[in-house]
Amino acid sequence: MSEPRVVNGVVIDDTFAEAFPMKATRLIITAHNLTWARHAVASATGFATSVIACGCEAGIERELGPDETPDGRPGLAILIFSMSGKELAKQVERRVGQCVLTCPTTAVFAGINEGEAIALGKNLRFFGDGWQISKLINGVRYWRIPVMDGEFVAQETTAVTKAVGGGNLLMLATDTDAALNAGEAAVQAMKQLPNVVMPFPGGVVRSGSKVGSKYASLSASTNDAFCPGLYGLASKSEITPEVRCVLEIVIDGLTEADVGAAMRVGMQACIAIGAAGGLRRLSAGNYGGKLGPYHFHLHKLLGDGGTP
Amino acid sequence: MTRVRLTLKQAASLRVDLRGVTPAALAGLALAQIERLPVTHGKQTLPLAEFFAVACDDAPEPGGELVFEGDLSRFDRIGWQLAGGRIVVAGPAGDYVGACMSGGDVQVQGSAGLLAACEMAGGTLAIAGDVGDHAASSLPGSMDGMRGGTLIVRGRAGDRFADRMRRGTALVFGDAGDFLASRLVAGTIVIGGRAGAHVGYGMRRGSVVFAGAAPHVAPTFVPALVDAAVAWQLLARDIARHGGPFAGLPARRIVRHLGDLSADGRGELIVAV
Repeated sequence: MSEPRVVNGVVIDDTFAEAFPMKATRLIITAHNLTWARHAVASATGFATSVIACGCEAGIERELGPDETPDGRPGLAILIFSMSGKELAKQVERRVGQCVLTCPTTAVFAGINEGEAIALGKNLRFFGDGWQISKLINGVRYWRIPVMDGEFVAQETTAVTKAVGGGNLLMLATDTDAALNAGEAAVQAMKQLPNVVMPFPGGVVRSGSKVGSKYASLSASTNDAFCPGLYGLASKSEITPEVRCVLEIVIDGLTEADVGAAMRVGMQACIAIGAAGGLRRLSAGNYGGKLGPYHFHLHKLLGDGGTP
Repeated sequence: MTRVRLTLKQAASLRVDLRGVTPAALAGLALAQIERLPVTHGKQTLPLAEFFAVACDDAPEPGGELVFEGDLSRFDRIGWQLAGGRIVVAGPAGDYVGACMSGGDVQVQGSAGLLAACEMAGGTLAIAGDVGDHAASSLPGSMDGMRGGTLIVRGRAGDRFADRMRRGTALVFGDAGDFLASRLVAGTIVIGGRAGAHVGYGMRRGSVVFAGAAPHVAPTFVPALVDAAVAWQLLARDIARHGGPFAGLPARRIVRHLGDLSADGRGELIVAV
């Protein structure tokens, strides 16, 4: 193992993030105005931080102007990731049914056309109690379901694509402000890229986990090696005395390249903050390379320069 | 694939049935074999060469191409059950053009007779001129009319256009006759001109869009209180790509009438205002 690199006073660990294959889809949700589209997607992507207990991981990919949506209204693109196509189909149906169909003025369309089709409006149509109408337009089937504000239009299916989940970046800082600054800057940079979402609140997670637990019923538990409060207590710690706060960003993307690109711009944003801003180290979480087939080496991602 | 050019030598004295003369059927046949293909003329069966001069060359179309030249208004069932390839009729065509086709592309550069695109299930049929009665409808005695694909009529349509139509899109740039979309089961019909009497008589579902004059709406239809803006934009944007009277549809406001209440009542007449 080579020596850690230091860029702008920030130590870049010679390690890698380990990511896993997932299944994903993109949905386009439009509404009468952006406010109501945001309400719908906030609800639909809520409680979708980790597949450990949420069934899926989801987030807003980007806002869409009226010229980018099928119906000429403002909208947003969201990405939803699950561990299997079957679970993804279940989550899509539940979330669209409870959070989009219910939200005033919304409509929902597939944002990915290539891949195995899963139901979008196909089963939700039965909410129409026989009044629903199918419309086949240019080879694409839509369902029009009467609701109290008019009608809810949903494309019949959306496509499932292979994806990559669990790309991550750990930011080790001298205090909470510095760690939050680094996290916010990195997430902001990552959000400029297509095909990725950071599913945790604000894109940042404080409760990084390791596999397994002393309690048999738990499959994951706190990442004690990165907990500053356990410095000197835990038998194996990654913490140095000046580090008082560690935050993590988890990245899910449609391809390995998308996740890598997001990690790269996130690292560059962190490096720009530098040691002067209280950021001391960048690291990543992995399981020794034994569990996930996708390995994102921080040094390789950063290339030769490393500066933004 | 081969492009076969059939040039009419002389007008037929009786009606000629051209079913079976498709690019797929002609593919791989030698010129002499094509010339000997049997076609029905009244009660007689005659070789194709009796009516046409046959020439072959390489087709730019992957599924093969068949070009008819001359006045084929007495030649019926051109493109009957066509599943692929392309047929061009450089002139008028007879009855049943594109009937029961499931794929491919038929272009008629003149007008077509009765029952064009009846029971059409896929592909595209474009007619530069007018079509006769019962286009996009069902074969006599059948329960379902056009059930897929796209029919484009750049001229006028006769009576009973899209009678019993079930699926697909049928566009008429000009006027349509009486009983437009009668007994419509589903699908999309778009009229650029004026429609005759009894629009949507007994229609169950489906959408009939009027880009030209507003039709007389029967009392068995009710005015819609909501504008269905999303569905309209999806539909209007797809129709607008055909140009002509439909080009500006997405920017136009609509008034809808729902019915026919004497049938299922879930159809809609959409008038662009």
